[in-house]
Amino acid sequence: MSNTLRPYLSAVRSSLTAALCLENFASQIVEKHNVPEVEAGNTKEVLLKPLIVSRNENEQVLIEGSINSVRVSIRIKQADDIERILAHKFTRFLMMRAENFVILRRVPIKGYDISFLVTNFHTEQMYKHKLVDFIIEFMEEVDKEISEMKLSLNARARIVAETYLSQFV
Amino acid sequence: MILLEPNSYVLEETLLARFNSEKPEVVDITLVDFDNVIYHVQTSAEQRTLLNLSVEMKYFNEVCAYGAKSILQREYGDYLVPVANSQYQITLQFNLEQLPADKAGLAKHVSMLKRNVLASPFIRAFEYWESQQEGAGPLMATHYRENEAIYVQAQQDRVTVIFSTLFQEEVDRVLGKVFLQEFVDARRQAAIQNAPQVFYSSREAPLEIRHLPGLRQDESVGYVSFVLFPRHFADAEVREKTISQIQLFRDYLHYHIKCAKAYMHSRMRTRVKEFLKVINRAKPDRTTAASEKRTASGRYFRPQFRQSSATSPQQVEGEW
Repeated sequence: MSNTLRPYLSAVRSSLTAALCLENFASQIVEKHNVPEVEAGNTKEVLLKPLIVSRNENEQVLIEGSINSVRVSIRIKQADDIERILAHKFTRFLMMRAENFVILRRVPIKGYDISFLVTNFHTEQMYKHKLVDFIIEFMEEVDKEISEMKLSLNARARIVAETYLSQFV
Repeated sequence: MILLEPNSYVLEETLLARFNSEKPEVVDITLVDFDNVIYHVQTSAEQRTLLNLSVEMKYFNEVCAYGAKSILQREYGDYLVPVANSQYQITLQFNLEQLPADKAGLAKHVSMLKRNVLASPFIRAFEYWESQQEGAGPLMATHYRENEAIYVQAQQDRVTVIFSTLFQEEVDRVLGKVFLQEFVDARRQAAIQNAPQVFYSSREAPLEIRHLPGLRQDESVGYVSFVLFPRHFADAEVREKTISQIQLFRDYLHYHIKCAKAYMHSRMRTRVKEFLKVINRAKPDRTTAASEKRTASGRYFRPQFRQSSATSPQQVEGEW
């Protein structure tokens, strides 16, 4: 199934690079305020059409753009109970440290597992291609990490059971 | 260490320290063991050379019905006090001046107290099997923890031990299912084909105990049954080992579930650090060459960070 991974990631990468063309936009509603328009959603004319890149129905990326901010939401593949719990724990772990990550949103969008919010201030302060790199690498790493944790959990369970039962023999 | 020890190590150490000390000092220590067993080590009020060990075991009454008192008498008869202190179920008294030569052995023996008391239903089941009576033996229940119990029943060719265990959290439940599934599947391996057979059901109680009143049968409860075959308890030495091992099953399982959670936590923390490194690469930092620009007279240029309003690089007096 990994033959769909490369085109999926390259599609996300090019969509993100296109969406991340941001410029400063002062709020039209309140004077002297500067608000990420994709979060506020009040000024309809500066919001772009949301775009979904999906690999299959379980893995999707939603990109909502606007003139000064972009919201990227990712749905991670969760095949069974264990993966669901691992993905939930992992994303919660990351979201609690959202301050360190700067572009991470503390709460994901409904229907997705984790969300990023990139504003024009971020693109001014950081390299744009590196930001896109981070998001793509994140998507790859999360899948890898979850399957590794599941494997190590199964291996651990096997060793625990063996050690216990071999005491009786 | 993967396996849990059947004796209480902390109790052994405490007693050994008291036995070996030169001068009997006044002590009042409370220790805890698995399954809500509390030990209270206290110097007797009347005589300083007498050391009292009181044990609080809420399920002692149940276990007495299975012959725990006779086991206590046999193992610790010399030290047993007929009537225990208030709120405690068992009291042992040691005279520090009249201890046997092997103090370490005595301390170790006493630290097995809980194991020996909880062994009583098992020993009774094995004796029933030895007597080769017809039909199944009595079903012995021990509610050693709140909401959790061990059921032991002897039959003509086997002894069944059923654990009911409670998982408080959703994560524990899922992890518990993974671990218990491995227990069930472990017999497929050649090396441990002779191990007891394990069955697991996540909500419904097994047939043997379904008739009991007051059984919890909701999502948070799991039932694990062990079928012990004669080879596990026919021989006396093997019997003792089996009893020690099987008592600790529930604690062993929950201990390893917690270890697995801790391991996942540390893995996630490492991964988060890696991600932080990647995102910090996105921030343009001042290269070391730039921050060490200096003029011919030895003064340094210190460029301001981009986002603040001041734009002119400051000049700083450098070391000559």
